[in-house]
Amino acid sequence: MMHRVLLPFEFSEPVTVAEAVSLVDGDRARALAGGVDLVLKLRLRQIVPERVVSLQKVRGLDHVRVDADAGGQAAAAGGRAEDGALHIGALATLRQVETAPAVRQRWPLLAEAIGSIVSVQTKAMGTVAGNLCVGTPASDVAPALYALGARMRIAGRDGEREIPIEQFFLDAGKTAVGPHEIVTEIVVPAPAAGSAGAFLKLSMTSEDIAKVNAAVMLTLAGGVCARAAISVGSAAPTPVRAAAAEKALTGRAIGAQAITEAADAAAEAVCPISDVRSTARYRKEMVRVLVRDALEKAAARAAAGKEA
Amino acid sequence: MASSKEIAAFLVNGNEYEVIIEPHLLLIDVLRDKLGLTGTKYACGAGDCGACTVLIDGRPSFSCLTLAVTAKGKSILTIEGVAEGNELDPIQQAFVDQGAVQCGFCTPGMILSTKALLDENPEPTRDEIKTALAGNLCRCTGYVKIVDAVEAAAAAMRDGGGR
Repeated sequence: MMHRVLLPFEFSEPVTVAEAVSLVDGDRARALAGGVDLVLKLRLRQIVPERVVSLQKVRGLDHVRVDADAGGQAAAAGGRAEDGALHIGALATLRQVETAPAVRQRWPLLAEAIGSIVSVQTKAMGTVAGNLCVGTPASDVAPALYALGARMRIAGRDGEREIPIEQFFLDAGKTAVGPHEIVTEIVVPAPAAGSAGAFLKLSMTSEDIAKVNAAVMLTLAGGVCARAAISVGSAAPTPVRAAAAEKALTGRAIGAQAITEAADAAAEAVCPISDVRSTARYRKEMVRVLVRDALEKAAARAAAGKEA
Repeated sequence: MASSKEIAAFLVNGNEYEVIIEPHLLLIDVLRDKLGLTGTKYACGAGDCGACTVLIDGRPSFSCLTLAVTAKGKSILTIEGVAEGNELDPIQQAFVDQGAVQCGFCTPGMILSTKALLDENPEPTRDEIKTALAGNLCRCTGYVKIVDAVEAAAAAMRDGGGR
């Protein structure tokens, strides 16, 4: 039930990552970034924390930065140098990432996925990291980041670790972030030359959460699929990579037959649930349709030399 | 459980206010109940409708999902700060002129989202207007007159009526 008033809690505003991880403690001392999800859960009293730890004043987390091709800057800062990777700080808002010229140019798949979240206020307040930390399989950002091979940097009391995004989502509402950890950064490698992607989402209204969504990245070489990354959301307890579908495409000439087989394989592999938004059967069928359409769109973009 | 009260300074519509707050207080409640600025509307409470939209440091934000404590010291603009005295802002005038206001409940949020758009993009296309207002729901107008009003406001401001 929605409550008009929140239950009382203590409040901290750390300014360093070390201070933040010393304060957070799972649902007892919850980390707050943009607040669009957490404050709603406080209103619903789904979470009743003793303390809220705002990360908003933590320094050095609000960046959207691209490594120089030589990677010298990141190496100098102690980070891992990587050619042209995108670094999204934990406080970077959805809108900040969606509108960043470098993202629109080199990671348009990510901008397209964020663009499917229509509320400007949600995107102006909400962060990319926060969207992922909710742990919902319906995240629109997650499938794009799966397809792009993103990695999550997570800080804890003993330092920082980095995991592939596929190891970040554990179950519906559950992520790999431990009670005394926070996400600090998302690292997105630069797509290979000849790559293009596409994101598609099916929802009741454009403002609603996805019934099903799908993101694909294709790397084509002379009309042949050198690499395919296909990810589907809202069709399993976590966003998933459709490995069988990727295998069905890799090494083959991109055409109607290969795309149909890949879409069938993707639909075969998912295990959706029935809920207020869709039945499981409908979701499975729509995975087939969205993956097919997204592959067609990405293939057309790759062929046209547009890195979408 | 004990919770820490403090005297917090808020900068709302260019005026500084000192308010006794607790960490669990929402910004909308500070605005409406402590400062009497009831132009900001509470509706869904969940970030779906946009009726509670205010600009925080220029960013369109849901005041019903913002902890007041996180807005301390930031520049907050509510609908009460849009007009200059008794003179309506060109956006407000355009909403009146175009019949974009029916029950009026969504209007403050619509106008603040419009202001955020026009501050950034003085010549938006109709599609850009719809995208900018996608987080604000209206149950009366069907949106056409609202989009018309934003276009008219943009034109009026370009013609020198803006401030």
